[in-house]
Amino acid sequence: MAEYKGMAQPSRAGEKDMRKIHMEPIPDELKPEKALEYLDEYRKKFRSFVMAMESCTKCGQCAENCHTYLGTRDPNNIPTNRAELIRKIYRRYFTLEGRWFGNLVGAEDISLDVIEQWYSYFWQCSECRRCAHVCPFGIDTCEVTMAGRQILHWLGITPKLHADVGGAMEKVGNHTGLPKPGIIDTLEFMAEECMDEFGIDIEFPVDKPDADIMYVPSSADFLLNPYTLMGAGMFFKYIGANWTIPSTVTEAGNFGLLFDQRYTQRHNVMRLLNAAQNLNVKKIVWGECGHGWRAAKMYVPSLADRPIRWDITHLHDEVAYLINTNQLKLDPSKNSKPTTLHDPCNYVRACGLNDNMRTCIKASVANYVEMSPNGADNFCCGGGSGILFDDKEMYQKRIELSWKKAEQVRATGIGKDGNGILCAPCSICKAQLYPMVEEHDLGVEVKGLIDLVGMALDFK
Amino acid sequence: MANIEINGQQVEIDEDGFIVNPEQWDENVAAYFCKDEGIEELTDEHWKVINYLRDYYQQFEVAPMIRKLCKETGCNLKKIYELFPSGPAKGACKVAGLPKPTGCV
Repeated sequence: MAEYKGMAQPSRAGEKDMRKIHMEPIPDELKPEKALEYLDEYRKKFRSFVMAMESCTKCGQCAENCHTYLGTRDPNNIPTNRAELIRKIYRRYFTLEGRWFGNLVGAEDISLDVIEQWYSYFWQCSECRRCAHVCPFGIDTCEVTMAGRQILHWLGITPKLHADVGGAMEKVGNHTGLPKPGIIDTLEFMAEECMDEFGIDIEFPVDKPDADIMYVPSSADFLLNPYTLMGAGMFFKYIGANWTIPSTVTEAGNFGLLFDQRYTQRHNVMRLLNAAQNLNVKKIVWGECGHGWRAAKMYVPSLADRPIRWDITHLHDEVAYLINTNQLKLDPSKNSKPTTLHDPCNYVRACGLNDNMRTCIKASVANYVEMSPNGADNFCCGGGSGILFDDKEMYQKRIELSWKKAEQVRATGIGKDGNGILCAPCSICKAQLYPMVEEHDLGVEVKGLIDLVGMALDFK
Repeated sequence: MANIEINGQQVEIDEDGFIVNPEQWDENVAAYFCKDEGIEELTDEHWKVINYLRDYYQQFEVAPMIRKLCKETGCNLKKIYELFPSGPAKGACKVAGLPKPTGCV
């Protein structure tokens, strides 16, 4: 189903797919009462959620700061109104005025229609947190989307894309379903390509015990982003690292953050820690994945079931440190095309990668143009939180959701001669922007950041 | 999930219209999926891509990197989009009877 009473919705996972990720779908007639039960549980547990429910004054600051609203002009996509879809239920059942005065104070009874409305609108939000960034009260509306998606998941309503990713993660340890022989085959191919294109002899070690560095790439790199894999490989070769890629968790992403923080996200964390322990590595270095880096940097310590023995750093932090200490020789003339940087939301609004990304890119490209706004003020690519749906109605939404990004890229002028580079160092951003730069006719090619670093490395 | 009938055979397809059991795939199924894709007739070039995808999937249980698909079949990405308008993952993989690639693709 791609539509419910005129509202666009992503195609949803069937019962079989939901059971693979341990959810037993709730029958429709029981959904409303169960939704209330789960909402009650959620509000008792999360003060951030209650704050969003209780404190908003509807000042409207978030409206023009949301790329989803700017692209769709649908009032329900104004962040405070999106939160209102759940707030009206919260008010009805959990506040005195709502219980007494009902719809006079904007309260509404729970119903299947409301739940379907949640499914449509909480999956048009990118969880980019630009609304939180500008909210004068500091309300993080993303937390409301997270609550809505978690409750929907417990009811058995999850997009097929996200449920399949959860299932693949559990089955083989990565989102794209790569078994170990497939991982090795692709990495051998990457080694050949590095030799053919750059004349550099690289080995991509898999499951090598006692390595200093366990590199966790995004599994999407194995299908779509060859230069991201090659760039990382060339960087590790350059610094002479003793490194390895773990086959049991070949995944920088953690879709659990996006639809099921209680089970899926937590399960992936244990998988990571088990891999680090079994391979006896000294340090974990993260690949290019925005939400996944937020999940790793900000959530692993609190979700882990044991003390963390490893430093977990991002590849861009490693590169920037070596640039700042004059230990990397980079030749920016190898990347001479006009280049701009799209800041992945989770890097800049959750993980403080802003400066280090700029250190990397400015040292690696000859013609760098800053996008405006940028850094923590940047707009999302429109695919944030993995809303990379391709059923007709939702794909159309993706075009609308990337409208603001397209405007920003155009304003840099880098694509005017058709040879610009749009650097987007996150797998979701890449998967969203590959088709969107064509849809919006931007005259740019999408690349990762370590891709550009790898190409600029001077091995002489 | 739904069952569709192709040449008398019941074939299960998922919510995205991809085949659920790759072993049910045959030339009739490929021809059926072509209609969705707006492909009038499968040419030798189509088959080169389909056969490569199927061989790779049988060996590795996953679709190949797109760059490898292009290199091994001699079709660049533009050519693949000409052959399969929905692209390598959503077009070519579907016609070749592979499950839909998941994740950030």
